[in-house]
Amino acid sequence: MYFLINPKGKNQLYRIMNFDYQQIDDVIHSRIRTSIMAVLVSVDEAEFNFLKEKVNATDGNLSVHLKKLEEASYISVKKAFINRKPVSKYKITNKGYKAFENYIKNLEKIVKGNL
Amino acid sequence: MEINQAATELSVIKKIMEDSRRINIDNGIHYIFWGVLVSVTLLANYFMVLYKVSLNYIGLMWMIIMIAGAVAGSFINKYQERTFRVKTYAGRLLGSLWFASGVSMFTYGFIGIITGAYNAIYCCPIIAVSLGISYYTSGAIQQIRWLQYVAAGWWLGGWALFYMKSVHILLVFAIMMICFQLIPGIVLFNKSKREESALQNYEL
Repeated sequence: MYFLINPKGKNQLYRIMNFDYQQIDDVIHSRIRTSIMAVLVSVDEAEFNFLKEKVNATDGNLSVHLKKLEEASYISVKKAFINRKPVSKYKITNKGYKAFENYIKNLEKIVKGNL
Repeated sequence: MEINQAATELSVIKKIMEDSRRINIDNGIHYIFWGVLVSVTLLANYFMVLYKVSLNYIGLMWMIIMIAGAVAGSFINKYQERTFRVKTYAGRLLGSLWFASGVSMFTYGFIGIITGAYNAIYCCPIIAVSLGISYYTSGAIQQIRWLQYVAAGWWLGGWALFYMKSVHILLVFAIMMICFQLIPGIVLFNKSKREESALQNYEL
């Protein structure tokens, strides 16, 4: 029992047990979607192929996850033709930025509970 | 979610964010373009002075070439903005830095001379020192240490040019333009091409 060895442990265990897991955003909480958000929060705008390389996903898989983020209005998409090829450029929205910030805060809360 | 899982996720997010911020944002095209344009014009200016061509013609040549360069440069910029895979805050910052630097150099090269504030030949060391500021800041934004050493080259060269009291300032400045602008541009261009081909190989 951790809290028996460490006197502070009891409070920390209490905090972990009382953490409201409903606070974890389901839209972001998936390996690919979290990675997409982490990339988009660091840049101004990114092309589909750039995201594919960074996230390490297949075209189809990435499209599905991008769609989900788009439906939640966390990201916006701009489609254009460059050198006759269709190109999709993605950008994080204010709502997405706030949601990602919140997601990180919640992760930190979970981790701090372990200190 | 387990505590270890949350910690791992946080460290993965941190790594992705750091990697995404570190991507190459400068393909060196502008360095090459301006490096060639200015060094050729400087050499032309040098020989025109040696062969005693009227200063009015030299001034006109600079005016035409620099305005044409600015127009062509803005077209290159527009094309790059459309075709770049990713736009970053650092890229925006870099664009602003070089735009401000260009306006300052135009002021030193044209306004300073036309108003007779200083001898025309001394716009070279002034511009060299100004380029040192831009290179140093550009290296800091892109986290490219050697680009900051190039800034030292511009500053030292600028100091040397202030001591020179002859038309040869133009020749030395043209050589500096090749060494500290054109060559770094080629290095950045090759670096960007390598990264681009690595990405294309990934897509195949």
